[in-house]
Amino acid sequence: MPERNTPQKTLESWKQIAAYLDRSERTVRRWEATEGLPVHRREHEKQDTVFAYRHEIEAWSRLRTRCPGDNSADDAEGLPALKPANNGYLVEHDAITRTMHLYIAGCRAGDGDLMRPAFHPFATISGYCQSVEYSGSVEHVFQWVTANGPAPNINPRFARIEIIETIAVVHLEVQRWSGKLAGANARASDVFTLLKLNGEWKITHKLFHWHDQ
Amino acid sequence: MTTSRYLTEYDGIVKTMQMYIDGSKQGKSALMRPAFHPDASFFGYAGEQLAVGTQFLFDWIDKNGPAPRIEPRVVSVDILDSIAVVRLEVAGWSGNLAGSDVRMSDLFTLLKMPTGWKIIQKAFHWHA
Repeated sequence: MPERNTPQKTLESWKQIAAYLDRSERTVRRWEATEGLPVHRREHEKQDTVFAYRHEIEAWSRLRTRCPGDNSADDAEGLPALKPANNGYLVEHDAITRTMHLYIAGCRAGDGDLMRPAFHPFATISGYCQSVEYSGSVEHVFQWVTANGPAPNINPRFARIEIIETIAVVHLEVQRWSGKLAGANARASDVFTLLKLNGEWKITHKLFHWHDQ
Repeated sequence: MTTSRYLTEYDGIVKTMQMYIDGSKQGKSALMRPAFHPDASFFGYAGEQLAVGTQFLFDWIDKNGPAPRIEPRVVSVDILDSIAVVRLEVAGWSGNLAGSDVRMSDLFTLLKMPTGWKIIQKAFHWHA
């Protein structure tokens, strides 16, 4: 039984997520696709059943409202903004997460163009696709994702986000891949390297491994 | 690890970590105690003082009081069947003992028990 006054740790439906963010369900669903709203799906449940970790939604929400002219929830509550000195790690971590969510949104939608802005223009990839090596231009990824079509059930988890000043490594575990090329229920382990370019984090290389079924 | 196991374990680990985060945020050691194995160890420097033992942590959390603006981020989760290592970066610490706007780096080792993933070790660094 949850303690009284203990806030719920997870939001267990689109309805709860929408209520938490004070928006319509339609808006928050759109935010998943276009703004990297971090929602998750559980194994063995219908594709449309989602949950979200409160701390991830809070973090996403703070980053999103940190723009001039926006109604910041922080300002409304009179909370002071985190000082840059202690905020630096967070800002970079969240910026990297946003870049990665662009990649995830592209995979979900089966749209290579949607994920393109997450990548450095000269980004490359390496990995095997059904025993065939794909090493070369990142265009392979955009073409593959588009040809594969939507993968609405993918369930990503960040296994690692390691930041060293202007470079970063991200290890992403992606379950429940589907589509014309991926098959029915595939798991991929992806390792990305990123570079901070003009204040934005861009993927410079993607290394991938498809797990056996 | 098979497809469904990874997610199950990852989410189980995050669920345990959330107990630690909730206890920290509310300044209530009772909330985080269930996340720890009874024999868990705990080490770090709290200012000049070497802090040892989970009781130090639980007393500190209760004395520090609520830290409502902490911003936790999971940096890494390494899962090796029955053991795991988690690194947490927590900015925005405040409270009677923490002061204001403090950042901590936390390293946890967890063990998979029948009752769920339990923290068996915590080491922290308090950034000046």
